Amino acid sequence: MASTSRRTGRDSTQLRALQTSLDGLARVDGSARFGFGTTAALSSISGPIEVRLAAEHPSLAAFEVLLRPLSNVPTTQSKSLAATLRSALLPSLILTQNPRTLIQLVVQSLSKGTSDALVAAMLNSSTLALLNAGSIPMRSVVCAVAVGRKKSTSEFIVDPEEEEEPSLASHGCFAFSFANGDARCVWTNWRSGSAAVVFDEKELAEAKDVALDAAREVFMHIQKVCRAMEGDDESDEEDDDKMVVS
Amino acid sequence: MDTVLPGQHVPAQHVNLKLGPGLLQTASSIIATRAGSLNHSANRSKWWVENNSRRYVPAPQESVIGVIVQKAGEGFRVDIGSAHTASLDGLAFEGATKRNKPNLKIGNIVYARLSLAHKDMEPELECFDAQTHKAEGFGELKGGFMVRCSLRMCRQLLDSKHFLLPLLGSRFPLEAAVGVNGRVWVSAKETREVIAISRCIEGVDPDGGGMEEADVVELLTTMGL
Repeated sequence: MASTSRRTGRDSTQLRALQTSLDGLARVDGSARFGFGTTAALSSISGPIEVRLAAEHPSLAAFEVLLRPLSNVPTTQSKSLAATLRSALLPSLILTQNPRTLIQLVVQSLSKGTSDALVAAMLNSSTLALLNAGSIPMRSVVCAVAVGRKKSTSEFIVDPEEEEEPSLASHGCFAFSFANGDARCVWTNWRSGSAAVVFDEKELAEAKDVALDAAREVFMHIQKVCRAMEGDDESDEEDDDKMVVS
Repeated sequence: MDTVLPGQHVPAQHVNLKLGPGLLQTASSIIATRAGSLNHSANRSKWWVENNSRRYVPAPQESVIGVIVQKAGEGFRVDIGSAHTASLDGLAFEGATKRNKPNLKIGNIVYARLSLAHKDMEPELECFDAQTHKAEGFGELKGGFMVRCSLRMCRQLLDSKHFLLPLLGSRFPLEAAVGVNGRVWVSAKETREVIAISRCIEGVDPDGGGMEEADVVELLTTMGL
Protein backbone atom coordinates (compact mmCIF):
# COMPACT_ATOMS: atom_id res chain seq x y z
CA MET A 1 0.00 0.00 0.00
CA ALA A 2 1.61 3.26 -1.08
CA SER A 3 1.89 5.99 1.51
CA THR A 4 3.48 9.39 1.05
CA SER A 5 3.52 10.34 4.70
CA ARG A 6 7.34 10.02 4.74
CA ARG A 7 9.46 13.13 4.88
CA THR A 8 10.99 12.88 1.44
CA GLY A 9 7.82 11.59 -0.17
CA ARG A 10 9.17 8.06 -0.45
CA ASP A 11 6.97 5.00 -0.61
CA SER A 12 6.86 2.84 2.50
CA THR A 13 8.79 0.12 0.67
CA GLN A 14 11.09 2.41 -1.28
CA LEU A 15 14.83 2.51 -0.63
CA ARG A 16 16.86 5.66 -1.05
CA ALA A 17 19.05 5.80 -4.17
CA LEU A 18 21.82 3.20 -3.74
CA GLN A 19 25.27 4.68 -4.23
CA THR A 20 28.06 2.19 -4.87
CA SER A 21 31.61 2.63 -5.98
CA LEU A 22 34.49 0.18 -6.22
CA ASP A 23 37.18 2.50 -5.02
CA GLY A 24 40.34 0.57 -5.74
CA LEU A 25 42.19 1.61 -2.57
CA ALA A 26 45.91 1.24 -3.10
CA ARG A 27 47.26 -1.08 -0.42
CA VAL A 28 44.40 -3.49 0.12
CA ASP A 29 43.10 -6.45 -1.85
CA GLY A 30 39.53 -5.23 -2.33
CA SER A 31 37.47 -2.17 -1.40
CA ALA A 32 34.00 -0.82 -1.95
CA ARG A 33 31.73 1.97 -0.87
CA PHE A 34 27.98 1.51 -0.36
CA GLY A 35 25.36 4.06 0.63
CA PHE A 36 21.63 4.39 1.09
CA GLY A 37 21.48 7.98 -0.11
CA THR A 38 24.00 9.81 2.07
CA THR A 39 24.16 7.13 4.78
CA ALA A 40 27.28 5.39 3.58
CA ALA A 41 30.25 3.26 4.62
CA LEU A 42 33.56 2.31 3.00
CA SER A 43 35.02 -1.17 3.49
CA SER A 44 38.36 -2.65 2.59
CA ILE A 45 39.45 -6.27 2.63
CA SER A 46 42.91 -7.77 2.81
CA GLY A 47 43.32 -11.50 2.63
CA PRO A 48 44.48 -14.17 2.86
CA ILE A 49 47.48 -12.45 4.48
CA GLU A 50 49.98 -13.28 7.20
CA VAL A 51 48.44 -13.73 10.64
CA ARG A 52 50.04 -13.06 14.00
CA LEU A 53 50.74 -16.19 16.02
CA ALA A 54 48.13 -15.49 18.69
CA ALA A 55 45.28 -15.37 16.17
CA GLU A 56 46.47 -18.27 14.01
CA HIS A 57 44.04 -21.19 13.67
CA PRO A 58 45.30 -24.56 12.35
CA SER A 59 42.35 -25.32 10.09
CA LEU A 60 40.63 -21.98 9.48
CA ALA A 61 41.43 -18.51 8.28
CA ALA A 62 41.06 -15.91 11.03
CA PHE A 63 38.44 -13.28 10.19
CA GLU A 64 39.00 -9.93 11.85
CA VAL A 65 36.77 -6.86 11.58
CA LEU A 66 37.93 -3.36 12.49
CA LEU A 67 35.48 -0.49 12.57
CA ARG A 68 36.32 3.17 12.43
CA PRO A 69 33.65 5.80 13.20
CA LEU A 70 33.39 9.00 11.19
CA SER A 71 35.09 11.07 13.85
CA ASN A 72 37.10 10.38 16.97
CA VAL A 73 39.03 7.24 17.82
CA PRO A 74 37.24 3.89 17.77
CA THR A 75 35.32 3.34 21.01
CA THR A 76 33.78 0.37 22.75
CA GLN A 77 30.68 0.85 20.61
CA SER A 78 32.83 0.44 17.49
CA LYS A 79 34.24 -2.76 18.92
CA SER A 80 30.74 -4.06 19.65
CA LEU A 81 29.44 -3.15 16.21
CA ALA A 82 32.51 -4.77 14.61
CA ALA A 83 31.68 -7.99 16.45
CA THR A 84 28.11 -7.93 15.10
CA LEU A 85 29.36 -7.28 11.55
CA ARG A 86 31.67 -10.25 11.94
CA SER A 87 28.87 -12.55 13.08
CA ALA A 88 26.66 -11.47 10.18
CA LEU A 89 29.35 -12.01 7.54
CA LEU A 90 30.85 -15.22 8.93
CA PRO A 91 28.19 -17.58 7.45
CA SER A 92 29.01 -16.39 3.94
CA LEU A 93 32.77 -17.07 4.06
CA ILE A 94 34.50 -20.39 3.40
CA LEU A 95 37.38 -20.17 5.86
CA THR A 96 38.65 -23.74 5.58
CA GLN A 97 40.42 -23.19 2.26
CA ASN A 98 43.07 -20.86 3.67
CA PRO A 99 44.06 -22.10 7.14
CA ARG A 100 46.62 -20.20 9.22
CA THR A 101 45.97 -16.94 7.40
CA LEU A 102 44.11 -13.72 8.19
CA ILE A 103 41.23 -12.04 6.42
CA GLN A 104 41.07 -8.47 7.63
CA LEU A 105 38.05 -6.27 7.05
CA VAL A 106 38.28 -2.57 7.86
CA VAL A 107 35.04 -0.61 7.77
CA GLN A 108 35.13 3.18 7.71
CA SER A 109 31.85 4.85 8.58
CA LEU A 110 31.10 7.80 6.30
CA SER A 111 28.09 9.05 8.27
CA LYS A 112 27.55 10.12 11.84
CA GLY A 113 26.02 7.91 14.49
CA THR A 114 25.07 4.24 14.35
CA SER A 115 21.60 4.14 12.83
CA ASP A 116 20.18 0.88 11.47
CA ALA A 117 20.60 2.14 7.91
CA LEU A 118 24.28 2.78 8.57
CA VAL A 119 24.75 -0.75 9.93
CA ALA A 120 23.05 -2.06 6.80
CA ALA A 121 25.32 0.10 4.62
CA MET A 122 28.36 -1.27 6.46
CA LEU A 123 27.27 -4.86 5.82
CA ASN A 124 26.57 -4.19 2.16
CA SER A 125 29.86 -2.40 1.60
CA SER A 126 31.69 -5.29 3.29
CA THR A 127 29.99 -7.77 0.98
CA LEU A 128 30.94 -5.71 -2.05
CA ALA A 129 34.54 -5.41 -0.86
CA LEU A 130 34.72 -9.20 -0.43
CA LEU A 131 33.34 -9.72 -3.94
CA ASN A 132 35.78 -7.14 -5.31
CA ALA A 133 38.76 -8.80 -3.63
CA GLY A 134 38.02 -12.15 -5.24
CA SER A 135 40.65 -14.01 -3.25
CA ILE A 136 38.43 -15.17 -0.38
CA PRO A 137 36.08 -18.05 -1.23
CA MET A 138 32.47 -17.39 -0.30
CA ARG A 139 29.35 -19.53 -0.20
CA SER A 140 26.75 -16.73 -0.29
CA VAL A 141 26.24 -12.98 -0.52
CA VAL A 142 25.05 -11.05 2.55
CA CYS A 143 22.71 -8.11 1.95
CA ALA A 144 21.17 -5.98 4.67
CA VAL A 145 18.44 -3.39 4.99
CA ALA A 146 16.89 -1.36 7.82
CA VAL A 147 13.16 -1.55 8.58
CA GLY A 148 10.93 0.30 11.02
CA ARG A 149 7.31 0.31 12.14
CA LYS A 150 5.63 3.66 12.47
CA LYS A 151 3.99 4.56 15.78
CA SER A 152 1.17 6.50 14.11
CA THR A 153 0.02 4.08 11.40
CA SER A 154 1.62 0.77 12.49
CA GLU A 155 2.81 0.26 8.92
CA PHE A 156 6.30 -0.98 8.09
CA ILE A 157 8.69 1.37 6.32
CA VAL A 158 11.92 0.43 4.63
CA ASP A 159 15.27 2.24 5.01
CA PRO A 160 14.20 4.83 7.62
CA GLU A 161 16.33 7.96 7.69
CA GLU A 162 17.85 9.13 10.95
CA GLU A 163 15.16 11.84 11.25
CA GLU A 164 12.40 9.25 10.95
CA GLU A 165 13.68 7.08 13.81
CA PRO A 166 11.97 8.94 16.69
CA SER A 167 8.58 8.28 15.04
CA LEU A 168 9.13 4.51 14.99
CA ALA A 169 7.57 2.14 17.49
CA SER A 170 10.10 -0.61 16.78
CA HIS A 171 12.93 -0.81 14.29
CA GLY A 172 15.97 -2.83 13.35
CA CYS A 173 18.30 -4.04 10.64
CA PHE A 174 17.98 -7.44 8.93
CA ALA A 175 20.81 -9.20 7.11
CA PHE A 176 20.09 -11.99 4.63
CA SER A 177 22.43 -14.45 3.03
CA PHE A 178 21.60 -14.94 -0.68
CA ALA A 179 22.74 -18.10 -2.47
CA ASN A 180 21.33 -19.34 -5.74
CA GLY A 181 18.07 -17.44 -5.38
CA ASP A 182 17.45 -18.54 -1.77
CA ALA A 183 17.63 -16.09 1.09
CA ARG A 184 18.11 -16.83 4.77
CA CYS A 185 18.17 -14.34 7.60
CA VAL A 186 21.59 -14.41 9.28
CA TRP A 187 21.33 -11.45 11.64
CA THR A 188 18.85 -8.97 13.07
CA ASN A 189 18.66 -6.41 15.84
CA TRP A 190 14.93 -5.73 15.82
CA ARG A 191 14.04 -3.85 18.98
CA SER A 192 11.40 -1.53 20.37
CA GLY A 193 12.19 2.13 19.90
CA SER A 194 10.58 3.72 22.92
CA ALA A 195 9.18 3.02 26.35
CA ALA A 196 6.06 0.89 26.71
CA VAL A 197 6.35 -0.53 23.20
CA VAL A 198 6.50 -4.30 22.94
CA PHE A 199 6.61 -6.59 19.94
CA ASP A 200 5.82 -10.26 19.41
CA GLU A 201 6.98 -13.01 17.06
CA LYS A 202 4.27 -12.11 14.55
CA GLU A 203 5.58 -8.58 14.19
CA LEU A 204 9.15 -9.83 13.90
CA ALA A 205 8.11 -12.23 11.14
CA GLU A 206 6.25 -9.47 9.27
CA ALA A 207 9.21 -7.13 9.58
CA LYS A 208 11.48 -9.87 8.25
CA ASP A 209 9.28 -10.33 5.18
CA VAL A 210 9.28 -6.60 4.46
CA ALA A 211 13.04 -6.54 4.88
CA LEU A 212 13.54 -9.55 2.59
CA ASP A 213 11.86 -7.80 -0.34
CA ALA A 214 14.03 -4.73 0.09
CA ALA A 215 17.17 -6.82 0.61
CA ARG A 216 16.48 -8.58 -2.67
CA GLU A 217 16.64 -5.19 -4.40
CA VAL A 218 20.01 -4.57 -2.77
CA PHE A 219 21.16 -8.02 -3.92
CA MET A 220 20.13 -7.30 -7.50
CA HIS A 221 22.02 -4.03 -7.39
CA ILE A 222 25.13 -5.83 -6.13
CA GLN A 223 24.68 -8.34 -8.93
CA LYS A 224 24.64 -5.44 -11.41
CA VAL A 225 27.83 -4.05 -9.91
CA CYS A 226 29.54 -7.45 -10.21
CA ARG A 227 28.50 -7.74 -13.84
CA ALA A 228 29.94 -4.29 -14.53
CA MET A 229 33.13 -5.35 -12.70
CA GLU A 230 33.51 -8.23 -15.13
CA GLY A 231 32.75 -6.01 -18.10
CA ASP A 232 29.54 -7.88 -18.79
CA ASP A 233 27.43 -5.44 -20.83
CA GLU A 234 23.81 -5.30 -19.75
CA SER A 235 21.13 -3.64 -21.83
CA ASP A 236 18.65 -3.57 -18.95
CA GLU A 237 17.99 0.15 -18.49
CA GLU A 238 14.76 -0.26 -16.52
CA ASP A 239 15.61 0.87 -13.02
CA ASP A 240 18.81 2.77 -13.71
CA ASP A 241 17.37 6.10 -12.62
CA LYS A 242 17.10 4.84 -9.08
CA MET A 243 20.50 3.22 -8.84
CA VAL A 244 23.78 5.02 -9.15
CA VAL A 245 26.79 2.87 -9.99
CA SER A 246 30.20 4.37 -10.52
CA MET B 1 30.50 -16.49 -20.17
CA ASP B 2 27.85 -15.69 -17.56
CA THR B 3 28.68 -13.66 -14.49
CA VAL B 4 28.14 -15.79 -11.40
CA LEU B 5 27.97 -14.85 -7.73
CA PRO B 6 29.10 -16.97 -4.78
CA GLY B 7 26.64 -19.69 -3.90
CA GLN B 8 25.21 -19.88 -7.39
CA HIS B 9 24.71 -23.42 -8.72
CA VAL B 10 26.77 -24.25 -11.78
CA PRO B 11 25.42 -26.71 -14.37
CA ALA B 12 28.71 -28.58 -14.73
CA GLN B 13 28.26 -32.21 -15.69
CA HIS B 14 30.69 -34.51 -17.45
CA VAL B 15 32.13 -37.99 -17.13
CA ASN B 16 35.64 -36.61 -16.49
CA LEU B 17 34.67 -33.35 -14.79
CA LYS B 18 37.54 -31.14 -13.59
CA LEU B 19 36.71 -28.12 -11.43
CA GLY B 20 39.11 -25.18 -11.71
CA PRO B 21 39.53 -22.06 -9.57
CA GLY B 22 36.37 -20.57 -8.12
CA LEU B 23 34.25 -23.72 -8.04
CA LEU B 24 33.49 -26.02 -5.15
CA GLN B 25 31.69 -29.34 -4.99
CA THR B 26 29.23 -29.48 -2.11
CA ALA B 27 27.07 -32.38 -1.00
CA SER B 28 24.21 -31.43 -3.28
CA SER B 29 25.74 -29.52 -6.19
CA ILE B 30 28.61 -27.52 -7.61
CA ILE B 31 28.68 -23.88 -6.53
CA ALA B 32 30.72 -20.86 -7.50
CA THR B 33 32.83 -19.46 -4.65
CA ARG B 34 33.63 -16.09 -6.16
CA ALA B 35 32.11 -13.40 -8.36
CA GLY B 36 33.34 -13.65 -11.93
CA SER B 37 32.72 -15.05 -15.40
CA LEU B 38 31.93 -18.74 -15.62
CA ASN B 39 34.00 -20.46 -18.32
CA HIS B 40 34.32 -24.01 -19.53
CA SER B 41 36.43 -25.89 -22.06
CA ALA B 42 35.08 -26.82 -25.49
CA ASN B 43 34.09 -30.34 -24.44
CA ARG B 44 32.62 -29.08 -21.13
CA SER B 45 34.89 -31.22 -18.99
CA LYS B 46 36.87 -28.33 -17.41
CA TRP B 47 34.99 -25.53 -15.66
CA TRP B 48 36.29 -22.47 -13.83
CA VAL B 49 35.35 -18.96 -12.69
CA GLU B 50 37.54 -16.20 -14.05
CA ASN B 51 37.95 -13.02 -12.02
CA ASN B 52 40.49 -10.39 -11.10
CA SER B 53 42.19 -10.13 -7.73
CA ARG B 54 45.30 -8.64 -6.22
CA ARG B 55 46.23 -11.25 -3.61
CA TYR B 56 48.00 -14.41 -4.79
CA VAL B 57 46.99 -17.80 -3.40
CA PRO B 58 49.62 -20.44 -4.31
CA ALA B 59 48.73 -23.29 -6.66
CA PRO B 60 51.09 -26.08 -7.74
CA GLN B 61 53.25 -25.81 -10.88
CA GLU B 62 52.73 -22.07 -11.27
CA SER B 63 55.68 -19.85 -12.21
CA VAL B 64 56.15 -17.00 -9.80
CA ILE B 65 58.57 -14.18 -9.09
CA GLY B 66 59.92 -14.17 -5.57
CA VAL B 67 62.20 -11.99 -3.48
CA ILE B 68 64.73 -13.63 -1.12
CA VAL B 69 64.00 -12.43 2.42
CA GLN B 70 66.11 -14.77 4.52
CA LYS B 71 68.77 -17.41 4.33
CA ALA B 72 67.52 -20.45 6.20
CA GLY B 73 70.06 -23.21 6.66
CA GLU B 74 70.34 -25.15 3.43
CA GLY B 75 68.03 -22.89 1.47
CA PHE B 76 66.22 -19.59 1.33
CA ARG B 77 62.91 -18.10 2.39
CA VAL B 78 61.23 -16.33 -0.50
CA ASP B 79 58.39 -13.82 -0.47
CA ILE B 80 55.96 -14.62 -3.29
CA GLY B 81 53.13 -12.34 -2.19
CA SER B 82 51.09 -15.06 -0.52
CA ALA B 83 50.13 -15.32 3.15
CA HIS B 84 53.14 -17.53 3.92
CA THR B 85 56.73 -17.19 2.71
CA ALA B 86 57.88 -20.01 0.47
CA SER B 87 60.99 -22.10 0.96
CA LEU B 88 63.53 -22.57 -1.81
CA ASP B 89 66.09 -25.28 -1.29
CA GLY B 90 69.70 -24.42 -2.10
CA LEU B 91 69.99 -27.51 -4.29
CA ALA B 92 66.84 -26.79 -6.31
CA PHE B 93 68.80 -25.24 -9.17
CA GLU B 94 70.19 -26.72 -12.35
CA GLY B 95 73.68 -28.09 -11.79
CA ALA B 96 73.69 -27.38 -8.06
CA THR B 97 75.71 -29.62 -5.78
CA LYS B 98 76.61 -29.42 -2.11
CA ARG B 99 79.85 -27.68 -3.06
CA ASN B 100 78.35 -25.54 -5.80
CA LYS B 101 75.28 -23.76 -4.45
CA PRO B 102 73.84 -20.55 -5.90
CA ASN B 103 75.09 -17.39 -4.25
CA LEU B 104 71.81 -15.59 -3.62
CA LYS B 105 71.62 -12.59 -1.32
CA ILE B 106 68.68 -11.09 0.56
CA GLY B 107 66.77 -8.87 -1.86
CA ASN B 108 67.63 -10.89 -4.96
CA ILE B 109 64.79 -11.69 -7.33
CA VAL B 110 64.20 -15.25 -8.53
CA TYR B 111 61.89 -16.78 -11.12
CA ALA B 112 60.76 -20.09 -9.70
CA ARG B 113 58.11 -22.77 -9.99
CA LEU B 114 55.87 -23.86 -7.13
CA SER B 115 56.62 -27.51 -6.59
CA LEU B 116 54.41 -27.77 -3.52
CA ALA B 117 51.37 -25.61 -2.81
CA HIS B 118 49.01 -27.12 -0.28
CA LYS B 119 46.77 -25.18 2.06
CA ASP B 120 48.15 -26.89 5.15
CA MET B 121 51.85 -26.61 4.30
CA GLU B 122 54.09 -23.72 3.47
CA PRO B 123 54.74 -23.40 -0.28
CA GLU B 124 57.96 -24.78 -1.77
CA LEU B 125 59.78 -23.50 -4.84
CA GLU B 126 62.15 -25.01 -7.38
CA CYS B 127 64.27 -23.24 -9.98
CA PHE B 128 64.17 -25.82 -12.73
CA ASP B 129 61.60 -27.26 -15.10
CA ALA B 130 59.58 -30.16 -13.71
CA GLN B 131 60.22 -32.59 -16.59
CA THR B 132 63.63 -31.68 -17.97
CA HIS B 133 65.30 -30.60 -14.69
CA LYS B 134 67.05 -27.85 -16.67
CA ALA B 135 66.86 -24.16 -15.76
CA GLU B 136 64.56 -23.19 -18.70
CA GLY B 137 64.54 -19.56 -17.62
CA PHE B 138 64.10 -20.20 -13.89
CA GLY B 139 66.70 -18.94 -11.44
CA GLU B 140 68.06 -15.60 -10.40
CA LEU B 141 66.94 -12.52 -12.35
CA LYS B 142 69.86 -10.13 -12.40
CA GLY B 143 69.38 -6.38 -12.68
CA GLY B 144 66.07 -5.13 -13.98
CA PHE B 145 63.05 -3.86 -12.11
CA MET B 146 60.00 -5.52 -10.61
CA VAL B 147 56.53 -4.16 -11.44
CA ARG B 148 53.40 -5.04 -9.45
CA CYS B 149 50.11 -5.59 -11.23
CA SER B 150 46.80 -7.40 -10.78
CA LEU B 151 46.57 -11.16 -11.31
CA ARG B 152 44.43 -10.80 -14.41
CA MET B 153 47.05 -8.52 -15.98
CA CYS B 154 49.69 -11.20 -15.44
CA ARG B 155 47.55 -13.81 -17.12
CA GLN B 156 46.99 -11.42 -20.03
CA LEU B 157 50.72 -10.78 -20.36
CA LEU B 158 51.35 -14.53 -20.46
CA ASP B 159 48.88 -14.87 -23.34
CA SER B 160 50.87 -14.83 -26.58
CA LYS B 161 48.00 -13.09 -28.38
CA HIS B 162 48.01 -10.06 -26.05
CA PHE B 163 49.27 -6.87 -27.68
CA LEU B 164 51.41 -5.21 -24.99
CA LEU B 165 54.75 -7.04 -24.86
CA PRO B 166 55.12 -7.44 -28.64
CA LEU B 167 54.25 -3.75 -29.03
CA LEU B 168 56.89 -2.68 -26.51
CA GLY B 169 59.38 -5.14 -27.99
CA SER B 170 58.95 -3.56 -31.40
CA ARG B 171 60.00 -0.17 -30.00
CA PHE B 172 63.06 -1.20 -28.00
CA PRO B 173 64.76 -4.41 -26.88
CA LEU B 174 63.53 -5.65 -23.53
CA GLU B 175 63.52 -8.71 -21.31
CA ALA B 176 60.50 -9.64 -19.24
CA ALA B 177 59.61 -12.42 -16.83
CA VAL B 178 55.95 -12.68 -15.84
CA GLY B 179 54.97 -14.32 -12.58
CA VAL B 180 51.35 -15.27 -11.98
CA ASN B 181 51.60 -13.81 -8.48
CA GLY B 182 51.05 -10.26 -9.65
CA ARG B 183 54.69 -9.45 -10.34
CA VAL B 184 56.50 -8.76 -13.60
CA TRP B 185 60.30 -8.39 -13.87
CA VAL B 186 61.43 -6.16 -16.72
CA SER B 187 64.84 -5.18 -17.97
CA ALA B 188 65.81 -2.73 -20.70
CA LYS B 189 68.92 -0.73 -21.62
CA GLU B 190 67.74 2.75 -20.66
CA THR B 191 65.93 3.89 -17.52
CA ARG B 192 63.20 5.69 -19.45
CA GLU B 193 62.44 2.47 -21.31
CA VAL B 194 61.95 0.65 -18.00
CA ILE B 195 59.73 3.51 -16.80
CA ALA B 196 57.72 3.29 -20.03
CA ILE B 197 57.17 -0.46 -19.60
CA SER B 198 56.16 0.07 -15.99
CA ARG B 199 53.68 2.84 -16.89
CA CYS B 200 52.22 0.81 -19.75
CA ILE B 201 51.65 -2.22 -17.54
CA GLU B 202 49.97 -0.02 -14.92
CA GLY B 203 47.81 1.59 -17.58
CA VAL B 204 46.71 -1.57 -19.36
CA ASP B 205 45.97 -3.28 -16.03
CA PRO B 206 42.17 -3.76 -15.70
CA ASP B 207 42.44 -2.16 -12.23
CA GLY B 208 44.22 0.88 -13.58
CA GLY B 209 41.79 1.72 -16.37
CA GLY B 210 42.43 -0.96 -18.98
CA MET B 211 44.13 1.12 -21.67
CA GLU B 212 43.73 -0.04 -25.25
CA GLU B 213 46.50 -0.49 -27.83
CA ALA B 214 45.97 2.95 -29.40
CA ASP B 215 46.35 4.66 -26.02
CA VAL B 216 49.56 2.76 -25.32
CA VAL B 217 50.99 3.82 -28.69
CA GLU B 218 50.11 7.43 -27.84
CA LEU B 219 51.77 7.14 -24.44
CA LEU B 220 54.94 5.74 -25.96
CA THR B 221 55.03 8.50 -28.55
CA THR B 222 54.78 11.18 -25.87
CA MET B 223 57.70 9.52 -24.10
CA GLY B 224 59.73 9.60 -27.29
CA LEU B 225 59.96 5.84 -27.78
